[in-house]
Amino acid sequence: MAEDGDSDQFNGRMGLIFASIGAAIGTGNIWRFPRMVGANGGGTFLVPWLIFLFAWSIPLVIAEYAMGKRSRTGTIGTFRIFAGKKFAWMGLWTAWISTAIGFYYAVVSGWTIKYFQLGITGALNGEDVDTVEVWNAFLQNPGQVIFFQFLVIVLTLAAIWKGAKAIEKVNFYLMISLFALLFLTLFLSLWMDFSDGTLDGALFMFTVDFDMLMEPEVWINGLSQSAWSCSAGMGMCITYAVYMSKDEDTVLNAFTMGLANNSISIIAGLAVLSAIFAVSPDPLATVTGGSSAITFLALPEVFALAPFAPIGPLFMMAGFFLALSFAAMTSMISTVELCVRNFVDHGYERGKSVALTGVALFMFGLPSAVMWIKLDSNGVAFPEFLEVQDHIWGYGLMFSGLFIAFSIWKYGYYRWKSGVEAGVAPPGFKGYLGFGVSAFRDDFINTGDNDMHVGRWWDLLMYLAFPILFAVLMLSYFTDMIANTPNVWDPSNPKGLSIIFLFWGVVATLFIFFNKFLIRRPLYRNIPNGADVDISTLPGGDDELIVALGEIAPGFEHLSIDATLDAELV
Amino acid sequence: MMLNGKVIRTRPSFGVLIVLPLLLSLIAPIANASVAQDEPMGTTPEDVWSDDYINMIFPWAPANEAKLQFKEYHSYETMKERMQYLTEENEDIFQFHEGLNGGVNARGETTTGDTYEGWHYMHASPWLKITGEVYDGDYNAFVGDTGNYADRPDVMIVGNHHAREWMSYETPLMVMEVIAFSYNNIGYDNDGDKEYWQNDGIDNNNDGEIDDSKEGIDEDPWGDADGDGILDDDGDCLALDASFQDSNGDGTPCGSGDLGVDEDYSEQWITDLVNSREIYLIPMLNVDGNIYDREVFCVEPAWETCPSGGWRKNLRNNGPEPLPDLIQEVDEDCDGVDLNRNYQFEWGWPLGATIPLIPGTCTPSEDEQAGISNNDVYTGPFDTKDNDGDGLVNEDNVDGEDDDNDGVKDEDWAGGNSEPETRFIQDMTEMNDDNGDGESEYKATLTYHSYSELVLYPWGHCADCQTTDHEQLIYHGDEMAEMTQYTNMQSSDLYPTTGDFCDWHYGVHGSYCYTMEIGTAFHQNEIDIDHIAVRNLGVAFYMADISDNPRERADLAIANISQQNYLQEPGDIAVPSEGDIPIDICVADAFPFSASQSELLWRTVKPSRLQSDYGPSEWSTTAWESVEVMALEGTCTTSDGNGTILRGMIPISETATGKLHYKASVTTLAGSDFYQYPSDGDYYTLDLSYRAAYGSVFGSLFMFALTATFVWGGLAVCLRMMLTDDEEIDLAAAESAEVGDN
Repeated sequence: MAEDGDSDQFNGRMGLIFASIGAAIGTGNIWRFPRMVGANGGGTFLVPWLIFLFAWSIPLVIAEYAMGKRSRTGTIGTFRIFAGKKFAWMGLWTAWISTAIGFYYAVVSGWTIKYFQLGITGALNGEDVDTVEVWNAFLQNPGQVIFFQFLVIVLTLAAIWKGAKAIEKVNFYLMISLFALLFLTLFLSLWMDFSDGTLDGALFMFTVDFDMLMEPEVWINGLSQSAWSCSAGMGMCITYAVYMSKDEDTVLNAFTMGLANNSISIIAGLAVLSAIFAVSPDPLATVTGGSSAITFLALPEVFALAPFAPIGPLFMMAGFFLALSFAAMTSMISTVELCVRNFVDHGYERGKSVALTGVALFMFGLPSAVMWIKLDSNGVAFPEFLEVQDHIWGYGLMFSGLFIAFSIWKYGYYRWKSGVEAGVAPPGFKGYLGFGVSAFRDDFINTGDNDMHVGRWWDLLMYLAFPILFAVLMLSYFTDMIANTPNVWDPSNPKGLSIIFLFWGVVATLFIFFNKFLIRRPLYRNIPNGADVDISTLPGGDDELIVALGEIAPGFEHLSIDATLDAELV
Repeated sequence: MMLNGKVIRTRPSFGVLIVLPLLLSLIAPIANASVAQDEPMGTTPEDVWSDDYINMIFPWAPANEAKLQFKEYHSYETMKERMQYLTEENEDIFQFHEGLNGGVNARGETTTGDTYEGWHYMHASPWLKITGEVYDGDYNAFVGDTGNYADRPDVMIVGNHHAREWMSYETPLMVMEVIAFSYNNIGYDNDGDKEYWQNDGIDNNNDGEIDDSKEGIDEDPWGDADGDGILDDDGDCLALDASFQDSNGDGTPCGSGDLGVDEDYSEQWITDLVNSREIYLIPMLNVDGNIYDREVFCVEPAWETCPSGGWRKNLRNNGPEPLPDLIQEVDEDCDGVDLNRNYQFEWGWPLGATIPLIPGTCTPSEDEQAGISNNDVYTGPFDTKDNDGDGLVNEDNVDGEDDDNDGVKDEDWAGGNSEPETRFIQDMTEMNDDNGDGESEYKATLTYHSYSELVLYPWGHCADCQTTDHEQLIYHGDEMAEMTQYTNMQSSDLYPTTGDFCDWHYGVHGSYCYTMEIGTAFHQNEIDIDHIAVRNLGVAFYMADISDNPRERADLAIANISQQNYLQEPGDIAVPSEGDIPIDICVADAFPFSASQSELLWRTVKPSRLQSDYGPSEWSTTAWESVEVMALEGTCTTSDGNGTILRGMIPISETATGKLHYKASVTTLAGSDFYQYPSDGDYYTLDLSYRAAYGSVFGSLFMFALTATFVWGGLAVCLRMMLTDDEEIDLAAAESAEVGDN
């Protein structure tokens, strides 16, 4: 039983932070970041990447925390409250995208555990190990892939079965270990890189090429890396904010989470680049050459040459892949929790929700695990079905962010209009700028719980910078795709654009249609004692089906209150 | 055997004994050579060739027949006699004619044999029809010749448009002699060297047999047959002592026209040509002018009295005023038309130096003395007739276009073809249609002129203009220029002319037409007749050979040469440590390339931004861009000799990684043909590696400090604030826990 009365809460704020960081840190920090640094001129890339941390990721996370802390529900409930009844489907979209990614992410997480196993058993060490052979043998063995996928799901479910307290503990240990392991790897990498007299990997990673800084592509890449890697606007922080204590400092949390995420990226990037620069004759070709390839093919070869053989390579290999699996696991946990939270909000028992999500993850992840395992032109196996899934749903993530911004814009206008009617807000466009635009910030961010006051800059970013950056990002991706994909409009082309729009269209239509059924259900808010969670000023605030956990929604008296309560009061 | 630490050889080892004979045999030729060097003269012509050949005694006549030996000039009379004689001797291949029979010509005019007779001496141009089984072929009533076969390409070879250019009829006469002598005389040893080659103990013709009976026979055809850039294919001239190598004294050792160069052509080849072509040989077109030049205008010997002067035109009576001209004598101030300005195509246009004389306004003799010409390039009179009977005069000049938009081209000309001689060429051309397709049979035409040592191709009438067959014309011109070691150029680049033979043949009939400007004087000294004629013999046979389809032959040859060109392969590219990447194209010397229109195409392939985190490498390819290429100083080596290096600089940044795709497009001179390398649609891939420095210590330290301050510093500040908060929260939590426990 929770000490905190009738709601499920993180114990301390470190728990929340570790969970959030765990959500943010995933494989993207460890295998995507070094590739982006390599492909975008080393230190040059860090400039836009850092700028967009403050201009995109942190502001969005602040918004997410603020929304979740107020709504005290998962994504569906949050949009139902913040954007209004008609827009609950946006929360459904956010939840679906995250879960759909979870389907194949479990498979990918399985790979990392497999590689940890290979690392710790020394199977990747030695001169004559052909990493391509190892990789192909693994990927083409459905039994193995499914086993590790299953293992990941079981571990994840075990971690979240018991709710926030368990999530907190698991994340805490995983993140601490991740830090430790990455530092170990970094130490060995730097040692390797320095043994030839220069730290060229580190030099490259921190040298700014000012010509390259003029290239728009570097900026777009910096933005996308920051947006994807931080999980900003993807609903994770809304979900974890549900478990915040009542006077949590959301702004500080957002900064901490964003900065921690980037810290890990830098450490991982430095470790990977130093190791590759130490060993590879053409390090940049290696680092930019591929995706999973660099992680599972190049890095084992590099790590095998670590100092202090045979202990060094073994430590490095096992440590790196363990860190990687921890990063993947923590992301997996947040993904599943996001889904589960939405079920629980709508009155489902937590145990059942977790079990249902787990079964769905496994079943729908199976095709990604075993279907369309192909060989690329270099004879390296890759899972095409998984890749197609990523292709379709990966870009959908960005729309979740757009929906969050939409809610903020909508709230501002709604608040200003009702304020004008009530005579408390100045009318006219100037009035809107003064009262409406800052409404969200005034009402939900600067609540008094935060040490740092969020100023007008946040409004500017949300109202001006965000839509521009969003448009640039999506346009640049789609134009790139159109330019580089043959038959991009052929709906049967799994890498085309039509298939993306087709799936999105079907899902969105379905969800919009499903919206009216969704809002007929009661929504239970997970409110800590004494928290200021008034939602009456919100577009969805007058919905009488939205009740606090433990209350009875009108018309749903038949639902067992006890059962609902039991589920929450783990 | 060791003694005091040294190896002392007391006798040759067994190995040395075995090798000794071999070593001696290697020295033997050197020894021979050094013995030979003792003789001051080195290898002499006598060592190699027959005495007749050395003295240029040709095998078709006794040594004392000076004219037949090309030691003296033929006159009109002796030429005609010889033509008739050879016709009698070679009835199966030769047919002798003077002028044409006449009849209704292609323009609907009625002509007779008289139409083609010169104004003054009343001789038609004598000519030979040469083809195998000449009396078996179809009879052409207008032209008067038999031997017309639809499947035999026709070639026209014309000499002596200009009366004083004597070598221009002597050379066609030698062509005639060579054909008469060589036909069915297979395997004749023209230079009499077979004994030399068949006794040298070397397999000279590389047929696997040493000193077999084929050696020294037909071993040196016209031109550079083996493609090594050397005309003397059998190397007999080059083997001579240097003092004998420039037998024609033109300053080029073993050049075209020297003894031993292109001297032993294949009689089989000539026989095959005669059997498969119809050769129309018109050695002396301007009989009137030639007789006047020889007998009246220049005092014998002409090469001394007028080496660079003489009578040029025909003998049209242009005046003087008042008309009609009562004086039947030739008026040197006034009379004559330049036959090679009298053809109808673009006649009189552009005017330039060729202002037509208005009858009666002849140059007074005092002007002539003052250096003003009597208009040696008079194009002939304006045509005052309404040629098509539509009431308009000269409304559609001959230029290949329908100037008056009446649906008929070139039907009412402003002038030209007014002379018996040019009408002869016109009607001979237009009435010779063996296959009845309405087109002239002459796909190749050749005219000899003197002098300048040039090969000229159309156009002549316009400067800075090109025919649509520019490249192909250049190709054949180059081949003949190589054969004669003359210079190939477009006619108008020498000076613009109007109404010349080749512009008319090419412009009106699409015939590949060349003007050979041979020798070094109008009246060449008679000691030079033989070697200049020898030097220019091959050209006539070359034209006969290509007359089946000169355009296709050039296209095929150019395409064939284009295969020697190549683009530098990725492995051969030297990527500099900084700056643009140079990529070379090696273009064969024989390929008529245009550097300014050729280009290198490139694009880069980078890992795509759309790179899935889970899939194979995806590449993003940029659009093809081009860079221009520049010819470098040095040469490169093609499969068939030397080539020119065209270099393009690909602008690739030092920081670029990924791949570079590149290909080349090499364009022929006129830009009509693009050749792609490596081959159409294909390209080479060069892996680009990062060439810039990985970073600077100072810069990276600064950036590291900045990043660390922002990220780690920021994180530390946040965590610190959080811990301070946590203490407060812990207190609050403890309080609320107490409350909760209650």
